[in-house]
Amino acid sequence: MCRPRAIHRHLGVVRILPARATAAEGGENEGGENTVVPSFGAAGAPLDPSGDPLLAAKFSVPAVARGFVRRKRLLDRLTDGTSGPLTLVTGPAGAGKTTLVSSWTRWGKAPGPVVWVTLDSGDTPGVFWTYVVDAFRRGLAGFQRGPIGLTGDIGTPVSAGSVDHSLLVRLCSALERLPEPVVLVLDGLDKVPDREVASGLEFVLDHAGPRLRLVLTSRVDPPLPLHRYRTEDRVYEIRGGDLAFTPHEAAVLLRGHGLVPGAETVGALTGRTEGWAAGLRLCALAMRESGDADGFVRSFSASEHAVADYLLAEILDAQPAATRELLLRVSILDRVHPDLANALTGREDAELILTRLTRANAFVEPIADTRWCRFHTLFAEVLHAHLRSRRPGLEPKLHRRAARWFTDAGQITDALAHAAAGGDWRYGATVAVQHLMVGRLLADPGAEGLDRLFSRMPPDVPGAEPALIAGARDLSRHDSAGCRAHLARAEHHLYRRGARPTPEARLTHALLRLLSGSYEQRHTGADGAAAAEEAAQHVGELMGRLPPFRIKEHPEIEALRHHGLACALLKSGRLDDARTAFAEAVRARAAEVTPLVRHQCLGQLALAEAIDGALTVAADHARCSLGVADQHRIPEPRRSGAGHLALAIVAFERGDVRAAIHHLDPAEALPDTRDDPMLMTETAVLWSRVELARGRRSAALGPLDALGPTPLPWPAERRAVARSAVALARGDHATAISVLDGAASGGPSRTVALALAHLSAGHTEAALRLVAPIDGSSGPPLPDRVRILLLRTHATMPDGDPAVTRALLAQALDAARPEQLRQPFTEAGPWLRHLLHRPDGPLGVHAWLTARPPDRQDNPILIEPLSGREREVLAHLEQMMSTDEIAAALHLSVNTVKTHLRGLYRKLCVSRRREAVERGRELRLL
Amino acid sequence: MGDVVPPPDGEHAEDGFPDAGEAVGRMRYEFRVTGHVSAVLAEGFPELDRVLAPRQTLFIGEVTDEAHLYGLLNRFRDLGLRVEEMRRLAD
Repeated sequence: MCRPRAIHRHLGVVRILPARATAAEGGENEGGENTVVPSFGAAGAPLDPSGDPLLAAKFSVPAVARGFVRRKRLLDRLTDGTSGPLTLVTGPAGAGKTTLVSSWTRWGKAPGPVVWVTLDSGDTPGVFWTYVVDAFRRGLAGFQRGPIGLTGDIGTPVSAGSVDHSLLVRLCSALERLPEPVVLVLDGLDKVPDREVASGLEFVLDHAGPRLRLVLTSRVDPPLPLHRYRTEDRVYEIRGGDLAFTPHEAAVLLRGHGLVPGAETVGALTGRTEGWAAGLRLCALAMRESGDADGFVRSFSASEHAVADYLLAEILDAQPAATRELLLRVSILDRVHPDLANALTGREDAELILTRLTRANAFVEPIADTRWCRFHTLFAEVLHAHLRSRRPGLEPKLHRRAARWFTDAGQITDALAHAAAGGDWRYGATVAVQHLMVGRLLADPGAEGLDRLFSRMPPDVPGAEPALIAGARDLSRHDSAGCRAHLARAEHHLYRRGARPTPEARLTHALLRLLSGSYEQRHTGADGAAAAEEAAQHVGELMGRLPPFRIKEHPEIEALRHHGLACALLKSGRLDDARTAFAEAVRARAAEVTPLVRHQCLGQLALAEAIDGALTVAADHARCSLGVADQHRIPEPRRSGAGHLALAIVAFERGDVRAAIHHLDPAEALPDTRDDPMLMTETAVLWSRVELARGRRSAALGPLDALGPTPLPWPAERRAVARSAVALARGDHATAISVLDGAASGGPSRTVALALAHLSAGHTEAALRLVAPIDGSSGPPLPDRVRILLLRTHATMPDGDPAVTRALLAQALDAARPEQLRQPFTEAGPWLRHLLHRPDGPLGVHAWLTARPPDRQDNPILIEPLSGREREVLAHLEQMMSTDEIAAALHLSVNTVKTHLRGLYRKLCVSRRREAVERGRELRLL
Repeated sequence: MGDVVPPPDGEHAEDGFPDAGEAVGRMRYEFRVTGHVSAVLAEGFPELDRVLAPRQTLFIGEVTDEAHLYGLLNRFRDLGLRVEEMRRLAD
């Protein structure tokens, strides 16, 4: 069961079939003119979201084997079927589904151009739709009447695991605009059992308009609402029974193989195989190769064996020894290349043998225009069973050889799959590290395939690379401690005497160190941030040692580097620097292609801003963070609770306790809220403050007590300040002061909390002395600045000048007003209420303070301002103008307008025109 | 939070439902496949016993759960074996 079927890739050649191509037209040969030969893993080749080069052979119409039988009854049915929206061809393996559709495609009776995608079992929804969109792009670009306006508009899925719904909408609208029908063939839909693919197809079928003609081949009925389609007469079905060969067709097939069977033989074979196409072809082969056709027919008819089992064993034994050995050994592959086959047999004759087998057309089908060939799935499975039985113990060795061959060919996904199947973890991990796969493991929610591959790696594989991979897998599950343990193991191997680690291994190690907070163990507080800065710089230097194209291929590494540094700054309490670093990380080009990192950075940015009292931008960035997660369907376990937590803090600071609780729930449901020291601390602090606001003083310590100790000074300070507030609310000044003494560092929040405790204990002078150095500076977060002003207001009250008191209060209110920051006023105590509610009090001007916060009174901002052109394009969008019209109006090319559209969609965090206009209005850009 | 206390670990075991393992239980199944299946192919089903019958092969054995069941059916299909009949055996 360890065939690496999940992630199969191979390279081939694109061939676009012109509409109504006929064999006579332009001397259509197997080569074709429209061929593009991509090289192995070439930089700049189109990539699907999992980072593999798009495989051209998936778009090529499979070659029809020599001696195939043209069955007009079925070809006509396909022509009938494609006059409607959906044609479904189902039948068992080897029933001739693919052959039927590919021969029909070549026959030239299709209602329009035919776009072909061969599906593979590794195709996740994101990969699936990438191929479909690209197939249209390639297929219709070669279409004689010129471009149909399909290209560019649709975009491609960003994550491999999933597809943005808006992409399907754009695809449908492009298909709706087609001037004439297009046939899309999806060959082998059973290999992509994902529900999301089926529901996406259902959506496209419902919304693509009448010009899309979909042909599906599958071994099982796809999970589409077939019953509804049948009653609505929207599906045309060709099923297994239809595909079965009639005796007449079987006779044609056998004659095509140079046999001259009598009616009786034909009847016997058709009956015994029940018209199964693959079985009949095997019979033809066996009859030819056995030398005694009649004898074969007699014993086959009389045997009680299962058909495929019998025929394959029979034919395998009839092969020369070298051929038999090759067949057994290559059965571990999905697709065979002669060189790879030689690598597996240790001989030089693979090309000869494969050519001979192809001519005999039994086991092997060539993949058009490539040296690759494909085994029929069924034969491969049976041969594989024979390999295990006849050559026990050989299989893992073959996988190891295949892994090395694929690495040399630059096909890393295949190499890793074979290394895993062969249990060669050390090699697999080394290849993964050398190809910088670790960044993808951390930054791409669609990298589950890679993660699953290494999930079977035992924990004790020696060497630096296995430890690095294990560490990255831990980190992707928010297990920093586990990651650090693996890193220690990796370090031992990397930096021992005589070790010569590769730049890739060193980069991977440095990146993981930065992200897992390894520096925290030795350095804390301000030191911690400095160490993180050093670590980030180190990552940057190591990146500089790799060829620039490698780094360009892996933008996620730069994105992760920014993210790691920003997180460290936040943990050490350097709010301003953290805000700058997160904002930079979000703005970096790399963030665009790494939605997961973008989502996390926006959430943490919002959190830093919320703590800093920049409530308006915090709310906006938090919503943006959630928007990115939804738009790219980032799976729950990979999502960050930071955005929700930021929204909770914003709501609380604005005096809306219920909304704060409402936002805390989803925050706590996400894993990093429970694991990340920053998020854990801020969640507990907010709960404590919520309890105080609800008047439940006894419950307010609970959330703080539930936290374990933290070595990080800033979270420790945040907790101490919260404890002090609880003690103060209980009237326990001594404790309010003493808990703050425990806090090692002296940030402004701690100073303000200490001053408040002293004031409440009656030490007014001491309180004023404490805040004097930070009063009036812009250093402390806004809530603390407001608290200082209120403290000074309070201090003047007993015997001071009422005018001074009023002036100070007015200052506090003016400072808090832009952010609608109400909480410091609410928690200040009864003295403030008297002051506010006096007839000459400030509420006349500051009615906002007691107003119930509306749902969204904030003034949203953009992370990145729109350029002048983008604003112009947005203004034209509002007037419902098409891309072409906008281009004409602005004297720009259509492509330039599209570039601006993409830019403004990204900046506005939207995916459709209408949303862009709505958001533009909200932001008062229109 | 205060008033919402998460249930202690293990409380769900007392919710009146039997242990998950017992509820599904192990089931004995019999698959009847068309034609005689060679020992080589039967090795693809190490968890099942092979019994030859006239024009059929019976595969009998324990099936862990539904996922296992569907996995077996797929394996039969991948090897070109046609399942004519499948039934759960009485204990």
